[in-house]
Amino acid sequence: MKCVTGDLEGSKAALKKLLPAGDILTFDFVSESGMRFSCVFADPLTDKDLLGEQVVSPLLHYDGPARAEDVMHKLTSPEQRSERALDKLAEEVLTGNPVLLFADMDTAVIVGTKRIPVRAIAEPSTDVAVKGPREGFIEDFKTNTSLVRRRLRTPELRIDLLEVGRRSRTAVAVCYLEGTTKREIVEKVKERIKKIDIDIVADSSYLTHFLSSRPYSLVKQVGTTEKPDIFCAKIAEGRVGILVDGSPIALTVPYLLVEDFQSSEDYFVPPHRATFTRLLRLFALLAAIYLPAYYVSAQLFRLQLFPVRLLLTISGAIRDIPFSPSLEMLLVLLVLETLNEASVRMPKYVGMALSVVGALVLGETAVSAGFVSTPAIIIVAFSGIGLYAVPNLIEQTSVLRLAMLLIAGSVGTYGVLLATAFVLLYLVTTENYGAPLFAPFAPVVGRDLKDSIVKYHLQSMKLRPETLKSPNRRRLG
Amino acid sequence: MKKFLKTLPSKLWILLFAAVIFTFFSNDFGLVDIQKTAIILAAGIDRTEQGFSVTAQIAVPDSSDRTKGGTSSVNIEAEGATVSDCISRIYSKTGWVPKLVFCNLIVMGEEAVKEDVVSYLNYFLRNEYMPDSCLLAVCAGTAHELLVSESAIDDSSSIAVTKLFSEEAKKSGKVLVTSLKDFAIGYYGVSESGYLPFVRMTEQVHAGEKKDETRPEEERRMIYSAEETAIFSHGRMVALLPREQTLAFSMLQGNVFAGTFNARDGDEPVTLSVLTNDGGVKLSFSRGPRVEFSLDLRVRLCCRGLAASMDDIAGDEVKGEILASAEEILSGYVRDLYETATESGCDLFHLRRDLYRSSLSRYAEWKEALPAAAVPSYRVRVHSTK
Amino acid sequence: MNEKISSRQLYFFLACVAPVGKLVFLPTELAKYAKNDLLLPLLVQFALQAAAVFCVLLAARREQSFYDLVADMGGAFTAKVLSVLLALFLAFATLLPILEQKTFVQSVFYDTLPSILSFAPYFLFAAYVLTHPLPALGRIWDVLAPIFLVGMAGILILSFGACDFGALLPVGAAGAKGFGRGVMLASSWFFDAAVLLSLLGKFRYRRGMAWKGTLAYVAGGAIVLLFFAVFYAVFAETAMNQLFAFAKTSKYFAGITVLGRIDYLFIFALAIVMAYASVLPAQAGVSLLSDAFSHPKYLSLILGISLAVLYFILSLLLDYRFGQAVNLINGPLFWLFPLFSVLLPAATALVGRKA
Repeated sequence: MKCVTGDLEGSKAALKKLLPAGDILTFDFVSESGMRFSCVFADPLTDKDLLGEQVVSPLLHYDGPARAEDVMHKLTSPEQRSERALDKLAEEVLTGNPVLLFADMDTAVIVGTKRIPVRAIAEPSTDVAVKGPREGFIEDFKTNTSLVRRRLRTPELRIDLLEVGRRSRTAVAVCYLEGTTKREIVEKVKERIKKIDIDIVADSSYLTHFLSSRPYSLVKQVGTTEKPDIFCAKIAEGRVGILVDGSPIALTVPYLLVEDFQSSEDYFVPPHRATFTRLLRLFALLAAIYLPAYYVSAQLFRLQLFPVRLLLTISGAIRDIPFSPSLEMLLVLLVLETLNEASVRMPKYVGMALSVVGALVLGETAVSAGFVSTPAIIIVAFSGIGLYAVPNLIEQTSVLRLAMLLIAGSVGTYGVLLATAFVLLYLVTTENYGAPLFAPFAPVVGRDLKDSIVKYHLQSMKLRPETLKSPNRRRLG
Repeated sequence: MKKFLKTLPSKLWILLFAAVIFTFFSNDFGLVDIQKTAIILAAGIDRTEQGFSVTAQIAVPDSSDRTKGGTSSVNIEAEGATVSDCISRIYSKTGWVPKLVFCNLIVMGEEAVKEDVVSYLNYFLRNEYMPDSCLLAVCAGTAHELLVSESAIDDSSSIAVTKLFSEEAKKSGKVLVTSLKDFAIGYYGVSESGYLPFVRMTEQVHAGEKKDETRPEEERRMIYSAEETAIFSHGRMVALLPREQTLAFSMLQGNVFAGTFNARDGDEPVTLSVLTNDGGVKLSFSRGPRVEFSLDLRVRLCCRGLAASMDDIAGDEVKGEILASAEEILSGYVRDLYETATESGCDLFHLRRDLYRSSLSRYAEWKEALPAAAVPSYRVRVHSTK
Repeated sequence: MNEKISSRQLYFFLACVAPVGKLVFLPTELAKYAKNDLLLPLLVQFALQAAAVFCVLLAARREQSFYDLVADMGGAFTAKVLSVLLALFLAFATLLPILEQKTFVQSVFYDTLPSILSFAPYFLFAAYVLTHPLPALGRIWDVLAPIFLVGMAGILILSFGACDFGALLPVGAAGAKGFGRGVMLASSWFFDAAVLLSLLGKFRYRRGMAWKGTLAYVAGGAIVLLFFAVFYAVFAETAMNQLFAFAKTSKYFAGITVLGRIDYLFIFALAIVMAYASVLPAQAGVSLLSDAFSHPKYLSLILGISLAVLYFILSLLLDYRFGQAVNLINGPLFWLFPLFSVLLPAATALVGRKA
């Protein structure tokens, strides 16, 4: 391990050798007493005003002995520590903290004057609530932890810091409530995070693959949220929260499927309204997944699934359509997915034009030209809307919808039923961190049903979810 | 081996996905989709010298405007030795696979019901893809004529006829409705009897909107009625109940809630509307079988044949004389109904079935003699609304 | 997932999963022989099975598997032989529900007779289920119970309007011969206690479980009896022609003309339960063999997949011989059912008490 020496030029050169990039600058200055200093910092990450104000100005008048402790007393920066190892110093420079080297001293001082550009706290676009807090996590790790701390002002809140990524060295915070979260879950999470051997972690979604018990599964096994209020509520229930530097998406485990049918707003409206909207979400999601499959299998295999009048209407509409019912539906569905994908990526002003093209040209004109039928467009449009009733499951449900359609077009309704039975068995046998994914329905956890698809009054939910096996069960006095 | 088993699931998934994609794009495993299907709305059966003639009314969706559907239909007729033979000939004539899943009406021609109808209806009873909730009817003339006729009220004659058999029509007491299942239960039950509505069509003459070269004559459109009822014994039609007896039978079943019937106020005709209907047929034994017909109606005056005062119109209560006349008239209807049924040998009131269900020993003793041996009694009460 | 089946899950199985296989062909077959007395043979069979279920649950007090229980009393060899025989019986008993399901699917899910391949996905599903350990099914019973109840309630409610319960009279019309034939014929559908034997040691025993479990089974039986009564009340003398009973009774609901076949929702719900229920006996057989021979995981996997393939081949071979297969199972081989699902459970209870 290389360390700084009393030779200022030598130490500076050694540090520069470790950090040869052009944006790593050095600033040399001499105090009135003739003592030489050198400051090494990353240009884009360091607040130079603060550096001048808290480091350079006080040291210009320094006339004390050449000892790190005395120099540090002179600095006005609240964040400072001494360090000798060159590689550690290089790491700090890369995080934005300048390193102060001295002539005739074998210790350097790290000063906390980094300035990372962050965006303002804003309402997240994926977790919008009409009622309730509007704050969302941002990419800055410290801001995110401060948002959590503000909501959980208890010494029991633990934020254990870990580092993941050989090159990115991304900070990861494991947040939980001591005494409320089951110890084994915390340990398991930390163990899985520590085992991750990856060069960079660009986003928290990288971690989800390593935190799942079935990493190759289509089924989601880690909860995600952009809202600190939801994050804190989940931690308070006995879950472990994970914040990743550079990502506004926070993770929570153990994850239960029912979580994604709950919205933060459900807790701010009367329980009957919350129950209704949850049922609506469930219905919309099921309809979105099954409607295209049902439509196709009814046309191909079992006409009786339609009432006779509706059948005659459909029959009239699809007459002369050049594709088979299954192919027609697949095409319309693929067009919808393409439009969806394109409209997310496109600049907003083009997006507007795109929706006009999508709705009018592809929809109206395709029907007029006899490429596709009106019922197919209606079914796909409804399905497309329905999927967004549970936005956190889009990645899973859109694939499931396509799978159901392919099965329906191949073997009909019975195939769809079997696929459903298969998915059910898969879901009920999946568990993560000891919590069954399909709880509280399978296994049935009677008490937890109070906050599942139905929502009871807050006063009646005196205990934390049984599924999470919290050592501190009571949450309401 | 272990490595192979470890990677087996992913290989199986790929195979499965390939199989699904293959079947999806080829889907040709005996598949008959909507575009290859003839949706049969109704079937008409007539007796011919060779065997049978079946007329299938097939829905033809209108695709002139792709944003709308339509319900027009075509009638395809085929002859054959059996009904099944006829249906397969329809297939060979059209190229569409005839599907009976939406067949909601089977009409039999007058000649066809002179023999045991189950000799050809058994095709539908055997067919797993045929809904036995389908309605049955007999028609005057041939079923073919009925189905090919142009309805004055609907695009398709079968839809117009089916409207006669609605739940609302049943409540009026003007029509008796039977499904294939109900008829089969009656036929295979110990009573071996049943009934079917008898459909007649009459020409509704009305001027076309515009007389032109291609349609010089007035349009010939038909309206249908099913106020008469054909009654069956051992699968053969044995008598035809006129509309009064159809009404009486409906009332005995307790089905009438919005129907009307005529009575007299002295010499003046009046129409009464039925508000509540309690009816029943009870078999009892007292020195031989006795059958009691009971009717209990609550009625309201609906219309007089002459001009009436405002007091009379505003008054709710029906006079005693009118009620007495109504009781007498209805008793007559019921008596006629019972006589028609017994004379024709039809156990219309399921007396044999009731006896079978109540006492096996008595059933063994009386099954041949019923219903003719039963002594009837009639108890008809007609009340006024207050 | 190594947890044991909970007592609640076991009750759900007895009340809601076990009855579903009896709703397809059995009503029609019983109507053929016992006519309007079809409830009587059914009642007898349910009473026998309830007693057998009670016996098995009594034996469950020792929280030992069937193999261990027999091995304690009669030695490892006897236990192995009995486990193999019971497993073979269960594999054989699975054949009828699978063939039933095949014809049911071909009729109810398709407008025209589909290709034989249309039922092939079932065997993929069966293979998937068969490769799961038996306790994994405990959780699925939690899901299937409400599905069954909703499906059954829906079908019964929609059917009531078309019922004439007088059709069930007079009692005894079929005579002793009809009754006896009915009891004999119904045997092939009653092997729940034999399945329960394979579950021994895989569920957590609770005090009073024997009574509660039997009550749950009786409750399921009551639902089946009610359905049979409704079935005959709807179809009366034509009942013997009505295959796939639970898909038939509800179609006369008045609202169907307007809404279309809404009853299919309930039929589909029961079909999902049936998909699991039909493969359960075979899975129980695999589980018995695993217990008896301490199978490594992969061998049990291979056994499950092989069974699924075997059933697929048999379903192809017996494609148009369903009637003959049923006659064989109901005729010369019918004694297997009371032997393994009534006498063996009773004997096991005796062993359990003595050991």
